[in-house]
Amino acid sequence: MSETVISVEDVTLCFPRRRSLYSLLTSSKNKRKRHFTALDGVNLDIEKGEIVGIIGTNGCGKSTLLRIISGIYSPDRGTCKVKGNISLLAGLGTGFSPHQTGRENAILYGSVLGYSKQKIVDKLPEIISFSELGDFIEEPIRTYSAGMKARLGLAVASAINPDILLIDEVLGVGDPTFKKKSTDRIIEMVEEAGTVIIVSHSFGMLSKLCDRIVLMEQGRIIDIGDPHSVIQTYHKRAEKKKLEGVK
Amino acid sequence: MGSELNIVGEKTSSLMAPISNIKVLFENNFLVRNLARREVRGRYRSAFLGYAWTVIEPTLLSVVYWFLFIMLAGNPDEFYAVWVLIGVVVWGCFGKSLMSSVTSLSGNTRMIHLVFFPRIIFPTTAVFANIVISIMSSMVVIPLILVYGFPFGIHLIMIPISICLAGFLGIGLGIIFAPLNCIQKDVEHLFRFIVRAGFFVSPVMWTYEMALERGVFGEVVLWNPMVAPITMARHGLVGKWPDMPLYSIAYSVIFAISLWILGSMIFHRYEREAVKHL
Repeated sequence: MSETVISVEDVTLCFPRRRSLYSLLTSSKNKRKRHFTALDGVNLDIEKGEIVGIIGTNGCGKSTLLRIISGIYSPDRGTCKVKGNISLLAGLGTGFSPHQTGRENAILYGSVLGYSKQKIVDKLPEIISFSELGDFIEEPIRTYSAGMKARLGLAVASAINPDILLIDEVLGVGDPTFKKKSTDRIIEMVEEAGTVIIVSHSFGMLSKLCDRIVLMEQGRIIDIGDPHSVIQTYHKRAEKKKLEGVK
Repeated sequence: MGSELNIVGEKTSSLMAPISNIKVLFENNFLVRNLARREVRGRYRSAFLGYAWTVIEPTLLSVVYWFLFIMLAGNPDEFYAVWVLIGVVVWGCFGKSLMSSVTSLSGNTRMIHLVFFPRIIFPTTAVFANIVISIMSSMVVIPLILVYGFPFGIHLIMIPISICLAGFLGIGLGIIFAPLNCIQKDVEHLFRFIVRAGFFVSPVMWTYEMALERGVFGEVVLWNPMVAPITMARHGLVGKWPDMPLYSIAYSVIFAISLWILGSMIFHRYEREAVKHL
């Protein structure tokens, strides 16, 4: 039995462009459009238990679509419906405070991601051991390297188990050993979570994990289907563009 | 898991926002506390003198104003430095709360883009942090009590109450304009000016009693809702209940509540559209 848990219906989203008095006075000739259409009539239904990948070139609206589903932006037109609680994994370690210790930041970041106090207290030992920071956990975060911060971020973020998990390009952080561990952890999370949407450029992993892949271009969905054929479509289109560019 | 598909970010009525916002804050109190702690610790932990700066800063500022006043006006009354110090702390709480509320959305662009939680949390945590810092600043009254021999008693409660009222006035006014500041940053510059100018039309360097001596001024200044909190704090320090018309205190409180109601509704109504401009 299948039931729809995410339903995106005809979603359109425009970003307004900022204008200043100076730009109005100086660039009266080349009138730029006042809006940038990030999503243009997107329809997408995702069923319970599905793992869906989204691919496309930079700026095609992949992240924006995830932000619509997680509630960060509200669509200008159309609706987005979901069932169950959602977590968006993007930009690991959002809101870290450089002058507080690793432990304090783990609690802070956990609460930002929506954990209850009880849940953080329960998960904290697991988070600290996964981050492999050792005694550094009591040091202020400003002394951490970029990789260490990313490790702590992933350790906290991967302790959640939502009904719907949205992942936006958070793969492969830290040194090679940890990279392997982090990728393994994310795959584990994907398998544990009920329903997953992954935005990524690593086609190899997507074709292994996903049931379906969505190809986006300029705010529209142009292909949905089994991973192999959609990735082929992507390559074909990219080649075609390249040829057009040469001409 | 719910059994129905729910619309993401379904629009609710703005009319209930003043109350539903408070409910949201209670529901997310753990997050609010953590974010407020981040603000307070982040500001002082890396400094050698640390939290002592909360007291040092208003004290030094008061010395400068006291000196300025002696040069301009000659002989002030013997407690003048004390009045200025209280004024600086309470006004500072209002000014910082106002500015941090106005910039609460535009200043948290990264977090807004990457995680979702009710956005009323941004201005409130900033204001909570400011109130905590201002109450720490108000510890400066302890040496003053010892030096000047003010009575030590229940009246001192007026100081934190005044600080909270100042912060509440700040957030109410600030969230009215926070969405607009995402669209055009001009708002922020305008408000920086308003805070600076407001400093002079509020009783920071002068007192309510001084205005009373100038006859009609005593009536006019009461239109400023910041007169009540600053004066209440000063009277509390010298050990008396606020010695000013009761209606002026009620005016200030009602003003603050009205700003919160209006601000909540405007924030609730426009915040979704405004963040698209970030």
